[in-house]
Amino acid sequence: MGTILKAENLEKVYRVGKVDVPALRGVSLDVEEGEFLSVMGPSGCGKSTMLHLLGGLLTPTRGRIVIAGEDLTAASDAKRTDIRRRKIGFVFQRFNLFPTLTAEGNLRLAERIHANGDDDPGHRREILRLLRLEDKMHHKPLELSGGEQQRVALARAVVTRPAIVLADEPTGNLDTENSAIVLKMFQELNRRFNQTIIMITHNPEAAEASRRVIQMRDGHIVEPAATAPTT
Amino acid sequence: MDSIVVSNIRQRPLRSAISVLGVALGVVLVMLFTGLTRGMSNDLQRRNSNVRAEIIFTRPGSIELTSASTNLSTKYLDLLKSIEGVEAVSPVILDFFPGGAVGVEQVEGVEWDSFAKMNNIKLIEGHPPLAFDEIVIDEVKASRKHPVGSNVKIFGDKPYRVVGIYAPESGARAKFSLEAMQNILQTPGKCTYILVKCKNSSEQVAVAKRIDEKLPGNKVQFTRDVFTSIETSIPSLGIFLRVLVGVASVLSALVVMLAMYTTITERTREIGILKAMGASRRYIISEIETEALLISVMGLIVGFTFAAGAGFFIHKATGLIFEFGGWWAVTAGAIGLVGGAVGAFYPAVRAANLDPVHALAYE
Repeated sequence: MGTILKAENLEKVYRVGKVDVPALRGVSLDVEEGEFLSVMGPSGCGKSTMLHLLGGLLTPTRGRIVIAGEDLTAASDAKRTDIRRRKIGFVFQRFNLFPTLTAEGNLRLAERIHANGDDDPGHRREILRLLRLEDKMHHKPLELSGGEQQRVALARAVVTRPAIVLADEPTGNLDTENSAIVLKMFQELNRRFNQTIIMITHNPEAAEASRRVIQMRDGHIVEPAATAPTT
Repeated sequence: MDSIVVSNIRQRPLRSAISVLGVALGVVLVMLFTGLTRGMSNDLQRRNSNVRAEIIFTRPGSIELTSASTNLSTKYLDLLKSIEGVEAVSPVILDFFPGGAVGVEQVEGVEWDSFAKMNNIKLIEGHPPLAFDEIVIDEVKASRKHPVGSNVKIFGDKPYRVVGIYAPESGARAKFSLEAMQNILQTPGKCTYILVKCKNSSEQVAVAKRIDEKLPGNKVQFTRDVFTSIETSIPSLGIFLRVLVGVASVLSALVVMLAMYTTITERTREIGILKAMGASRRYIISEIETEALLISVMGLIVGFTFAAGAGFFIHKATGLIFEFGGWWAVTAGAIGLVGGAVGAFYPAVRAANLDPVHALAYE
């Protein structure tokens, strides 16, 4: 297993009126393939900015990001979108499912956007079984609980076999029970499919589900903690 | 079909319906106006084509689009008959009165025997007009609840009795006897023009020349030049139709643009999600354009259906004739589709260029 993501000296400065607001002040990070990493820190420390940079949704003011051998920072907007489509899956705090589509429709949409030509119903079924969604596929998001919606969002993120899943506070809108279920699903995906996961959270209990935790503060990584015990 | 395009249209039924109606309105405008123009024009040409005489002999300025003078002496009948190449002549008084679907109708006074024989029309019911209050009508007018024995109001509210029905349609739909018209208009011994049938149709130019030489100071015209289509009689009608088509295009485009713009604003976060999933600009634009085109197609279906139905019922109610042309249908369809696609393009590009982070955070 090698390094699947390498971020070097990332800086991001936002221009707010006439004032420059630094969100990241030089962050370097190496993530191994198959790693389940949590990023913790207080609000405003730059966690989300870093996630958006790693996902190619933002461009850094300075620094470099390489994902699975492809330089994200040197790429044009179209190329970044292409890399994101092929290599990254997102899971959001607010689930962000399409309300007009069923659960299955949300997955199919991801496959259609991915459009790699190899429709793999077997892989899709395995994901659904793992996430316990077989009997939920014809329901629309409003007909599902919060935990079920997040599992559908997770299925949508991984069905196209991305190199990395980026999760932004995936349990932030869930109760304790559903949070535990979703975190267990993350662990299963990581264990069974060797899925690389980078998760942002402010919840220490959620971070315990991961293998490594890093702490951020004021735009810096301040504490790359030792590998957390798996549960 | 679990499609984001179809589901978006279903999710917002009122807005989708208004957008569809906006496109349909453009189609209806084009189809009804062009259908009416074609219908009236073709109807006039059909009736005029059944006038078999090749030449019209009249006084200068006697015949205009909605007026005619009765200032030609019927003494010219014998003079015309004597000219080499003339087979038959028939006098006609042409007059107009307020009425009908378009506000003005034609009526003619004819010597029935010579007129019918010249133009090969026959009475299919009843007899020719004899008394001053008798008329014959063509079968098209008769089909609007005017059987033999019924009364038709002409020249205001004065009723005239239908004594005969003829076919095919030829010239005005209602005809008096020549004497009756002369009596009504107080122009004894006069007519508006004399129809001249040539022995040999191919010699009509030579015959016309002879008439002009023998009877100078009058107007000798060919019927094919006098009885033209409405578009030729009113050149600005073509300009009006083109302006109408332009207005319909703009209308369709604006309606779709407004609908798509509102939709995009409401779905900003969804667009952010698409971008986070790796949807390219082209994908986002194509999804929005597909939705717009689907709305346009539905608008076309509604528009064509409504135009056909409206044409049918307006014809039944007023007698106006609609003839929908294939070329105009294609034009109306193109307006609906192109208008929709063009109208959606700006909102689509705007959506594709949204900042994904801001879009995801949009409430």
